[in-house]
Amino acid sequence: MRLLLVELNRFRSRRAIALMLLAAALVAAILATTTIYESRPLTDSDIAAAQAQADAEAQQPYVQRDLARCEKHPRRFMGPGATVEDCEPNIVPQVEWYLYRPTLSLAEERMDSGLAVLMIVSAVMIIVGTTFAGADWASGSISNQLIFEPRRLRVWLAKAGAVFLGTLVVSAVVLVAFWVALYVAAESRGIPTGAAVQSEIRWMVGRGVLMAGVAALGGFALTMLLRHTVGTLAVMFAYAVGGEALTAALPVAGAGRWSLANNVFAWLGDGHEYWDGTVTCSGGAFDCDQSVVLSLAGGVTYLGVVLLVVVVLSMFFFRRRDIA
Amino acid sequence: MSALVIETSGLRKEFHTRRGRHIVAVHDLDLAVPAGGVHGFLGPNGSGKTTTIRMLLGLARASKGEMRLFGEPVPRHLPQVMRRVGAVVEQPKFVPTFTGRKNLSLLAGSIGAPSSTVDAALARVGLTGRDKERYKGYSLGMKQRLAIAATLLKSPDLLILDEPTNGLDPAGIRDIRDMIRGLGESGVTVLLSSHILAEVQQVCHSVSIIGNGRLLASGDVDDLVGAGASTTRVRVADQPTAAAHLERAGYTVISNGDGALHVDGATGPEQITRLLAEHGLYVSELTPVRRDLESVFLQLTKDDTLATTATTATAGTATATDGGTA
Repeated sequence: MRLLLVELNRFRSRRAIALMLLAAALVAAILATTTIYESRPLTDSDIAAAQAQADAEAQQPYVQRDLARCEKHPRRFMGPGATVEDCEPNIVPQVEWYLYRPTLSLAEERMDSGLAVLMIVSAVMIIVGTTFAGADWASGSISNQLIFEPRRLRVWLAKAGAVFLGTLVVSAVVLVAFWVALYVAAESRGIPTGAAVQSEIRWMVGRGVLMAGVAALGGFALTMLLRHTVGTLAVMFAYAVGGEALTAALPVAGAGRWSLANNVFAWLGDGHEYWDGTVTCSGGAFDCDQSVVLSLAGGVTYLGVVLLVVVVLSMFFFRRRDIA
Repeated sequence: MSALVIETSGLRKEFHTRRGRHIVAVHDLDLAVPAGGVHGFLGPNGSGKTTTIRMLLGLARASKGEMRLFGEPVPRHLPQVMRRVGAVVEQPKFVPTFTGRKNLSLLAGSIGAPSSTVDAALARVGLTGRDKERYKGYSLGMKQRLAIAATLLKSPDLLILDEPTNGLDPAGIRDIRDMIRGLGESGVTVLLSSHILAEVQQVCHSVSIIGNGRLLASGDVDDLVGAGASTTRVRVADQPTAAAHLERAGYTVISNGDGALHVDGATGPEQITRLLAEHGLYVSELTPVRRDLESVFLQLTKDDTLATTATTATAGTATATDGGTA
């Protein structure tokens, strides 16, 4: 417990980590602000501006020319069955054309900006976990720490605990704040959110917070294994991007099952449906459904095994290796 | 409790470089450091000093052999004995973006030491007032002081210091030497690894000299240097004649190219003066030269290098290099 508190203190005191956590919060705030602003209700001035724009556009010579042509030969201009009455509303700009703005929908935002903020927060937490371990190796201070506490597994666990708890708390604060902002905006606009949607969002935030913590833990464990921040990030990038390319390009049946992205989405979205070109159907080509569903349990198993392998290797080598 | 604070028996460290070279950094080393006082740990670069220290502290695994600290086998009982051991291995290693105080506070926290211990350690090394500055802004001397302050957080019974005066200014070197001497006199056992032979001779009571990972000599400094053993440097116009007369009288005479004769075996310079004057030779310089640790060290390591070169030529065994073991 004492070591864990020391490591939490170290985690809290690292300026680079504080800046990254601040950046994650800032990105979430920007995303929330953008989402709320771009779905704001229309005001009278918005309508007046749109009307002025529509009127100005309607006076354009090409509009009047097209309108005259249409009214002369509506079917030729608009297609079979068209009448003269169809010409004006389809050719002359209407005020609605300049008033398009989506209504805030928490259900839609869940898999849109909600997913985006979650992915960004998780990516930042990976870097946080990586840099937390990397700094100890780069400065050599890990050897000093081991002179004070030679039980290496304890040191590893205390550091891992600090990374996991620290990132868990920050991710929870950031994600909850993001959704509270959207919820308050929706409520203030009288948009019903629905208990089912709220429940889905709560589950998603819970899974997202856990993913951010686990991602940070994975980054930490891999850095303790490789002893280099940049090297770890390069390996992770290669695994994420190269792995995706490989699972997409290999003509192996069910390769999508091993895609990191599919498994992450399965975890976050309570299952994930993806297209698999290797699926063969007994029926005709037009009836063939080549989509495959990866369950939440499947995603959890994949991510859990990857994390377990990295953690076990990291602990094993940290316990045995010579420290310079 | 064992009278020896550090004991190694048949300690060996082997590893392979990335290019596949087999390196033996420490060869069956038997080291014995008695309790109390300051013990010097000498050896040329790459001789295995730091590797030995790292094995003792659990930072590196021994390939073979046994180690004991305070009579307890390590690394098995390291957690029990490390509370009594303070150490600086090679250069100081702290988090550069933290202040000196923050670095010490974290280390103190890991052993449950109160914050007053940090204050006391900072005061002891003269860093009070500079403790709130970032470590990366410290001079090399300040970094060394902070590293020594870290070792004092545990109130250690054994202090292992690897080149502790590296980078310090003359006043700093004197302060640290005084501190080491004081610690040794207060009952703390200090293992001082250093290249500065004069420093070791000034501060240490006993010494172990290693070369190519092997123990070359060990014992009290006075015994190694040879108490009273001395030569006399004699400068005279007709050196060949003077050397002949001295040798006939039973002295050992060496002319090592510095324009003077080095005479061994004389109980007093006046005997040499009288003898040469009787033969009409008058000395222009007569200086007693005491044998020092440096000459002992250089002689031992030179002999070892020659022996190792011969062994390497026949067995093809690679020995530790500077980069390989440091």
